[in-house]
Amino acid sequence: MNVTWRRVKDRIMLALAALMGIIILVPVVGMLWLVVSHALPALSFGLFTQVTVGTGGGLANAIVGTFYVVGLGILIAAPLGIMAGVYVGEVNPGSSIAQFVRFTTDVLAGVPSIVIGYFGYVTLVLGLGWGFSTLAGAIALALIGIPYVVRSTETALSKVPRGMREASLALGASQTTTIWRVTLREALPGVVTGVLLALSIAIGETAPLLYTAGWSNYMPNLRLTHAPIGYLTYVVWTFINEPFASANSLAYAAGLLLLILIVIVNVAARRIVARSRMGR
Amino acid sequence: MKLSWRNGGIVAALASALLLTVAGCGSTTAQGSQGPIALQETGSTLLYPLFQIWVPAYTKDHSGVKITPQGTGSGTGIADAANGTVQIGASDAYMATAQMSADPGMLNIPLAISAQQIMYNVPGLNQTHLHLSGQVLANIYTGKIAMWNDPAISALNPGVQLPALKIVPIHRADGSGDTFLFSQYLSFSAPSIWAGSKGPGYGTTISWPSVPASISATGNGGMVEALQQNKGGIAYVGISYLSQAVRYGLGYAAIENKAGQFVLPTAQTISTEANSLVGQTPKDERVSLIYGPAQGAYPIINYEYAIVNARQASPAMAKAVRQFLSWALTSGNKATYLEQVHFLPLPPAIVKLSEAQIAKVQ
Amino acid sequence: MATPGKVPILDRAMRVATGIVAGGALVAMLAIFVFLLRDSWPSIQYNGGHFLTGITWNIGNLYGNSMSSHNGVQAPAGATYGILPFILGTLLSSLIAVVLAVPLAVGIGLLLVEYLPRRLGDSLSFIVEMLAGIPSVVIGLWGLAVLIPWIGRDFGPWLQAVLGFIPIFRGPVGSGQGLLASGLVLAVMITPIIAATTRDVLRQTPRETKEGALGLGLTRWEMIRAVSLPWSASGIFGAVILGLGRALGETMAVLMVSGSAVNYLPQNIFSPIGTMAATIVSQLDSAMTDPTGMAVHALAEIALVLFVMSVVVNVPARILLSSAVRRGGDAQ
Repeated sequence: MNVTWRRVKDRIMLALAALMGIIILVPVVGMLWLVVSHALPALSFGLFTQVTVGTGGGLANAIVGTFYVVGLGILIAAPLGIMAGVYVGEVNPGSSIAQFVRFTTDVLAGVPSIVIGYFGYVTLVLGLGWGFSTLAGAIALALIGIPYVVRSTETALSKVPRGMREASLALGASQTTTIWRVTLREALPGVVTGVLLALSIAIGETAPLLYTAGWSNYMPNLRLTHAPIGYLTYVVWTFINEPFASANSLAYAAGLLLLILIVIVNVAARRIVARSRMGR
Repeated sequence: MKLSWRNGGIVAALASALLLTVAGCGSTTAQGSQGPIALQETGSTLLYPLFQIWVPAYTKDHSGVKITPQGTGSGTGIADAANGTVQIGASDAYMATAQMSADPGMLNIPLAISAQQIMYNVPGLNQTHLHLSGQVLANIYTGKIAMWNDPAISALNPGVQLPALKIVPIHRADGSGDTFLFSQYLSFSAPSIWAGSKGPGYGTTISWPSVPASISATGNGGMVEALQQNKGGIAYVGISYLSQAVRYGLGYAAIENKAGQFVLPTAQTISTEANSLVGQTPKDERVSLIYGPAQGAYPIINYEYAIVNARQASPAMAKAVRQFLSWALTSGNKATYLEQVHFLPLPPAIVKLSEAQIAKVQ
Repeated sequence: MATPGKVPILDRAMRVATGIVAGGALVAMLAIFVFLLRDSWPSIQYNGGHFLTGITWNIGNLYGNSMSSHNGVQAPAGATYGILPFILGTLLSSLIAVVLAVPLAVGIGLLLVEYLPRRLGDSLSFIVEMLAGIPSVVIGLWGLAVLIPWIGRDFGPWLQAVLGFIPIFRGPVGSGQGLLASGLVLAVMITPIIAATTRDVLRQTPRETKEGALGLGLTRWEMIRAVSLPWSASGIFGAVILGLGRALGETMAVLMVSGSAVNYLPQNIFSPIGTMAATIVSQLDSAMTDPTGMAVHALAEIALVLFVMSVVVNVPARILLSSAVRRGGDAQ
């Protein structure tokens, strides 16, 4: 084959790949611009210190509420997801149960979040009589996050070289010690990345919280049940639809805060991965 | 720093300790509820802005109560009030008879009067207040009238130069009290097209006829947004959004009432319609105010309802609900609050009926 | 692997504990499935097979007093529940998304691993990961404010002019809301998911093989075709399935741009559509006013169908993937 044509083809493919990279920047930049430019009127110190009053005020209740309900959700999802991931990836990877759990988590990840939300509404809010509450919202978020933790834990474990395990076991360590001290430690960056992925998904969820966490104008208290709680995505979804300019810019401000949170979570994830690389 | 599992373990331990503390506190505060009474309201997104204005004003003078309003939708408001998740549901539509028999303890308490305007985006004519009738609107939403210069529209607007512009009918994507009001107006004013077994009928969600140019939008804000972006668009929008939409340069139509007049939604025409129908409001106040027969009355208005279960969880809760609703009917019905969302106060006779219903909340 | 003989108690406890939790995932899914089945049962009885093939969705006259009855179950008069338009809307918009996202994601993956210098690659990688985390309501806002007017005014008419000889690109462009907008928004949402996984599997291509190929005088693209892509194909395929699963169930962003069509099938790529997940959200509120509860049961049945659909997508993907992985394992 003609050498120049091969070169040209190589260049064309590079150009195409570069084009793909540029195309994906368009929505990112577009969204940032849209949110930032509309959020400006609402940006002030009070955004972080005041609660939502009527159609204006600040977002302190929604910010704290987001941390609270999402944090609680992750506290539920992370240990459970990691344990299930350990079982599937390490304890009994070949078993039919493991196959089934893998399959289940994939399906669970594909269940629309509104279905999880409605499930929580019927079982927790109405069935257990919790009302709109932090715990109901957190459990809904945990159900959404767990599949991601399981999957990434399993993937990270599968990348741990077989030799490390065998060495530890040969030294007389029990399987539990091996997993805890060797394999999981080696896989930790991947596990943490999975938890952070679940975290960023939980931060951005709207539909499941509408029917489980409700919404509140007030700062969250420590009651887990029978008290609704505010969160940022509600502000985006609802206040964008209000006839008041102050409410609209609050919606964009909430969108901006969500974007900032997502950036923080992503930066944290990268640092963890980078550090673990350096540490090796 | 090398990330070690031990650090991770400490973090996990701290986290679970925190969780336990939180859980512990949670249960203790749940038992000793000495604090203010917390009321929850959810439902109609049309009433939601008014609640957002009411609640800070009310709680400023009544420190013993915390009220959280939430905008979800009228259907959710009714359902959550019935199952006890919230104390006050908000709805643009009264509960249907079949619904009442499913939940017999529910009260439908009007809090204010709202209206709906028909808005359009026809460049050059947005200041004109085009005349539209139920017949023409029904034909637009079934696709029979597709252009703004259709003879049927020209006939209603003598002397107006209508452009050869495609009509984009916009309707709500989500279930909505606004859809209920608009489709009820079409059912009453153009029954041959809209009612009957072949017509779409009325409801919070209806089967919109397939019109290629038509689009849908979520929420009243979405309707205004969609209208702004679509030249030739027409949309039904709750009156709370009127000033915002007019600021965007959109037009609103004079609508034909039962007496054959073309009427704009103003405080005057809305109260004319409301007053003419006061006598027909039954004791349970479930009544349609659409397409009344009075001269000079605007035909698309409604009561905005609080849906309340007559039996509340505790006497204290019931008292808090009664006090707030009574305040809403008296101090809350002042123009300073209502004008911000273009709602109108209830006629005195209706306030009496509402107060009688509020007294039933125990 | 395990040493024969006694398993220490600690190990046994650990196995049991993790096993129970892993089983918990099964229980959770089973619970959701049983719940959906129970909640949709009256609708299944009322509608039968018509549910999947019917085109009309009408929750009936709630303000009338008459009821219609079918197989012993009651619903408001005039109620018919047909979800074919939603099924088609879901499948078609997801198909468009996957068709658009795969070249984008693979291109980005290659860019990140094979072409860009590390630093630049890291920044692009960061942007892609951030895009994956953007809340769907924010993506929906962008779709509504930017994408839809662009399709309605510029992209749609252009597409119609260029590709109008193909029937699906013919017909009125309309407002910009609809199948195309939904597909584009979904593509934006699933591209980062597919791209990130593609990047990860491409990185695992054995360096020696790649260097060997380049040493033989292949151009970089030829090396990619001969080594990287075949080596990562199964992984990329798995990522695509993952993306497809996400697209099928995506709710908020699609709701904001789809046009929420009820009662008619998509005619062309510009038609308003409704998807199953978005319909559940947009109709739940109205459905709650149905005193017979049938409308909510019907929505639960939509969720059930969607659930089954994601199972159906996942089973063959799993089988294909695990066989591909086994092949890869043998080759190693």
